[in-house]
Amino acid sequence: MKTVKLLSLALAGCALALTGCTTSVNSVENAQKEGQRNMIADQRVIFDASLNRKVAIVGVNTVTTPGGLLKVQVEVENHTRSLQSFLYRFEWFDANGMQVNNALSAAIPEQIEGKESKFIFGIAPNASCRDFRVKFIEAD
Amino acid sequence: MKNKILLPLVAAAVPVFFAGCGTNAHYVQTGDKEQVISLGQINIQDYANAANDAIKDLLQSGALDKVANPPALIELSYIVNNTSQQVDTDLLTKKISIALLQSGKAVTKTVDSKASGYSAENAFVKEQSGRLPDFTLSGKIIETVDRAGSTRRTTYSFQLSLNDTKAGVQVWEGEKEIGKQGTRSAVGF
Repeated sequence: MKTVKLLSLALAGCALALTGCTTSVNSVENAQKEGQRNMIADQRVIFDASLNRKVAIVGVNTVTTPGGLLKVQVEVENHTRSLQSFLYRFEWFDANGMQVNNALSAAIPEQIEGKESKFIFGIAPNASCRDFRVKFIEAD
Repeated sequence: MKNKILLPLVAAAVPVFFAGCGTNAHYVQTGDKEQVISLGQINIQDYANAANDAIKDLLQSGALDKVANPPALIELSYIVNNTSQQVDTDLLTKKISIALLQSGKAVTKTVDSKASGYSAENAFVKEQSGRLPDFTLSGKIIETVDRAGSTRRTTYSFQLSLNDTKAGVQVWEGEKEIGKQGTRSAVGF
């Protein structure tokens, strides 16, 4: 009898603790969007199924800035109810498919709250860049 | 009898076990998963993050495209260190300078005294006035510490300004805040 009571209390405590660990996001936005995104057909290579289950890529859109630089925006979504951390890195390629050296090629850490959708973006290092690749790495 | 055999074996196995738990030295990349995050100092990946944000923002702002004679000439000015640590601001400005040069939208004024001297001599010989910078890039790094009980939060604010030398106005400003939070160790920090 005592054991049952203790177990029940422990389970209740665990449930409360887990609820405190989760953070979800509510959002509101314009239903009739004014801005039109130029979505592109993307090719995804998933080797980290664990990361993909938690933080998934929704879509990619691009634009060329007035200065002639390619700007890429990636929408990612957290499918879990808890904060997730990941790293991302942009790689850029010229018209011949050759990778362009980028001084700022370090992986960037990012956090995304539970059920949150957010945008990450990158700007090409110079106007010769015509193509890109974005890599996502699960952070510890 | 059994203990006489077991104890030496266990004693011999313990150091082997702990040796296997250690990490051999290996190469790492800036900003990778194994990055060390220090509460009390700016880490190398913090400079990379701040520079990355600043360059993205500066390039898309178009501020460098509005010069009469592109590419824009930028002189790197003072980056004030308002933190509690000794900081070599070149860790920030060099990344920005390299990225600007790679973009083709700006060149930075040399800080090498010999090059400056030759440039001035060249201008004198050709009876030309040297080109003055179109912009200067200045900034500040600020450290803010918040404490609540055993929890400490340190925020580093990287502030940069692009200043138009002709009009005397700021044409671009950027700020990146990097916050780190942790609990105070038993030893204290």
